Amino acid sequence: MIFIGLFSQSMQSGLTYERNSAVSTKTSDLLDTILLNPGLPDNWSQRDDAIAGLGLQDPDFSQYQLSSFSCMRLASTIQPVVYYPRIGAYYSNVTAGFGGYLLTPSAKSLNGSTASKLLGINGTYGFQLNLSPTITVSIEKISLGQPLILSVDIAGTDYPFANAPLSYNLLLVNQDSNNYPSYRIISGGGVTDSAGSAQLSFSVDGENQAYALIVYTYLDGLKGIGYYVHVPQSSTKSVVPLIDSFQNNNITIAHSDSVGQPSQSPSYSLLSYNVSFVILTEDYTLRQVDLDQPSSLGSVVFNSGSGQNYSSLTVPSNDGILVITYKGTAGQYGLVLMPWGFGSLGFPLTFGGSPAGQEWVTTDLRQVSIGGISYQAKLELWNLGYSGSG
Amino acid sequence: MIRTIEVLFVIIIMASAFTAVSLFTVLPLPSQVSPINLRRLSFTTLQTLDSSNDLSRAAFETDNATIWGGLQVALSASLPPNIIYNLTVYDVNDNDGQIYNYVTSISNTQNLGLTNDLSTYTVASSNVSFNFTPQKIGEGTNGGTLYILNCSDANGWWITGYTAQSLAQDLYNQLSPYFVNTVMVQNTSQLGQILNGTALQGENVQNAVVINTYGEAVPIPSAYCKAPYSTDSYAYYSYYLGQRVNLYNWTWSSIVGYPFYYVSNTAAFSGVQNSWGIYGMQMTGPGGSRGFLEGLNNQAYASNTNAITDSASRQVTLTQNVAGLCNYYGIYPSTYQTSTRALSNSTLAGYNLKVGLNIFNPSGDYLAGAIYNHYAAGSTNITGSLLALGLTRTPDVRVTGLSLLSYYQPRLYASEYTAEGTSRVVILQLGLVGSG
Repeated sequence: MIFIGLFSQSMQSGLTYERNSAVSTKTSDLLDTILLNPGLPDNWSQRDDAIAGLGLQDPDFSQYQLSSFSCMRLASTIQPVVYYPRIGAYYSNVTAGFGGYLLTPSAKSLNGSTASKLLGINGTYGFQLNLSPTITVSIEKISLGQPLILSVDIAGTDYPFANAPLSYNLLLVNQDSNNYPSYRIISGGGVTDSAGSAQLSFSVDGENQAYALIVYTYLDGLKGIGYYVHVPQSSTKSVVPLIDSFQNNNITIAHSDSVGQPSQSPSYSLLSYNVSFVILTEDYTLRQVDLDQPSSLGSVVFNSGSGQNYSSLTVPSNDGILVITYKGTAGQYGLVLMPWGFGSLGFPLTFGGSPAGQEWVTTDLRQVSIGGISYQAKLELWNLGYSGSG
Repeated sequence: MIRTIEVLFVIIIMASAFTAVSLFTVLPLPSQVSPINLRRLSFTTLQTLDSSNDLSRAAFETDNATIWGGLQVALSASLPPNIIYNLTVYDVNDNDGQIYNYVTSISNTQNLGLTNDLSTYTVASSNVSFNFTPQKIGEGTNGGTLYILNCSDANGWWITGYTAQSLAQDLYNQLSPYFVNTVMVQNTSQLGQILNGTALQGENVQNAVVINTYGEAVPIPSAYCKAPYSTDSYAYYSYYLGQRVNLYNWTWSSIVGYPFYYVSNTAAFSGVQNSWGIYGMQMTGPGGSRGFLEGLNNQAYASNTNAITDSASRQVTLTQNVAGLCNYYGIYPSTYQTSTRALSNSTLAGYNLKVGLNIFNPSGDYLAGAIYNHYAAGSTNITGSLLALGLTRTPDVRVTGLSLLSYYQPRLYASEYTAEGTSRVVILQLGLVGSG
């Protein structure tokens, strides 16, 4: 009996190794299945309805170039959904960092459960897909008052992005008498030092001026982006862009106090906004695109009256960044950014289930490009049949 | 006693068997059971590094420390911290009997360990040229001229978002390799010259292809802004154009919308607008197309304002023939297009026209895009053609280019010029830290 037990233990270990090895193979296959096909229909990224097949490849390109808009339809796992009572809708929160928003309608986004069914692994395997920028661009304000000095630190997965060219765009809100504040762009370039750092200095009041800095960096095919938004301390409210329709490119502009639960009590209600759209040019500068819509200028309020709670507008169908500058009734200025196309601001995404507590999780990794920005796609996979087994 | 010895023997045999099995049953390391697919990671890393051709440049500039420093930074920055690498460049050359010759390598480790894998990536030097020599349309047959209307003194309609000049430039880039001469008609005076049969640059006027980049509008020389050309809101001018197309056996190409619906001359019509607010343009209406077809058929002019299209919206698809030629010519417009000005086949029956090529599959009696050839009654010779693309605005000039190439089907002669040492192989070998 002892020897039988000893033999069977060896056999059991061997079988377990075999099963785990099979999960590993499945991980690699599944990751390529997701990344190397555009899905069905191939324009599902720019539709609002259900899809028949999951794939993230950009249908206009080959290999590991992913569609910005397909990635944008994936519901984030990490952050809780956001409720907007005025419409009665929930939004998946992919936002990363202050001043940037990416809130996609849950009803029109793809969740992990549906994805499992589309991939044919429902009930067999659990998965989590992570899309994270290969290059991290961190920006920090290191000055008080004028001049404004911003420190930019750029790193790869575990290595400083040394001697790398960078291109910056400083968006300065014009804090004048205009009710619908516009902005101007200061562009320039530089190079990081051996530690992957650079300092940018501007003759701007860094405390009372509302601004956003967008930095692009690029070296040997790797491209990264980072941003930093500053609003004066007096600006405690903001506008929030919510994606209403992927198909019609509709965005809802709401008052920040009206988004989420419970609704906030406003200290002031009216915010006048000015929406514009910028696209990245080949020389890494931003070019403004005229939205040419009456609703690109307007105001939103948060009160119990009959005032305009939110506005809607349509954005172009190509990748870009929505820039919304706003002004409160007492002259509180600010701005927010929203990527239109997942890679436009370098947001990360976690999609699918959680591997926490799973016995054997296998991982695979690919280098991909999303909207021209370098990303790493990591898939974690586990066998749901393992629960409780040795 | 003997029983005890037997039991001892059995124990010894069983223990030996277990030991032997344990020795032979070598279970793999955990990192080997569920490894990252290093081959795919390596391949995608090489692809990323070469996405802007930087890897290709580095492979041929191995003495440039700046380039290789940047490559090393990018490589280290793109790989996870537990991955070690060795990147090696080989020259591909069979002169010395050895195909792959070591050039240089960079690595962040002495030993890649037991768990490692590699991918290869072939890069080409900028000295390599892949070339296609196209057959010239009309070469040796008293033809071969492409006229692109690029008149600075005319305005376009239904080319929203583009200017006629930008479309003309795109068409020039796309089609000029296929013609003996490509002439940009820079103003309406030059248009008047070729209408009179006068060459602008010594080219053959006969058998030419004329592309009107102005959409539904047609440039008109100032000299023609008078009677009799002004008859019926310049429908007679279109009639005259039809006659010239017949006379010179031209292929007149209308890139979008309703052909000959407006005429344009910014000087002559400076105070006239096309009823949609565009000055320098006069609306002709449906009579323009009718006039052109009458002229093409060399019949007497008669005012006719009956529409040649029902203006219904139709989703149309490229014919199999044309779609199949997308790959050959490397022109890829969308297979699906929207047509709102498809010409009625039966309406065109009275003008001795035959369809030379369907660009889009017919939708009942309506053709969203076709090249119509005119044959005089009883003749087998073509005397003028019309390419009418009745798509909705805005135009995709790739459809125009593909249509003409699909009709004439010039051959492409591929050739490759390579020199020694113009191909190199980059091998990226990745390993896992601590895998032995």
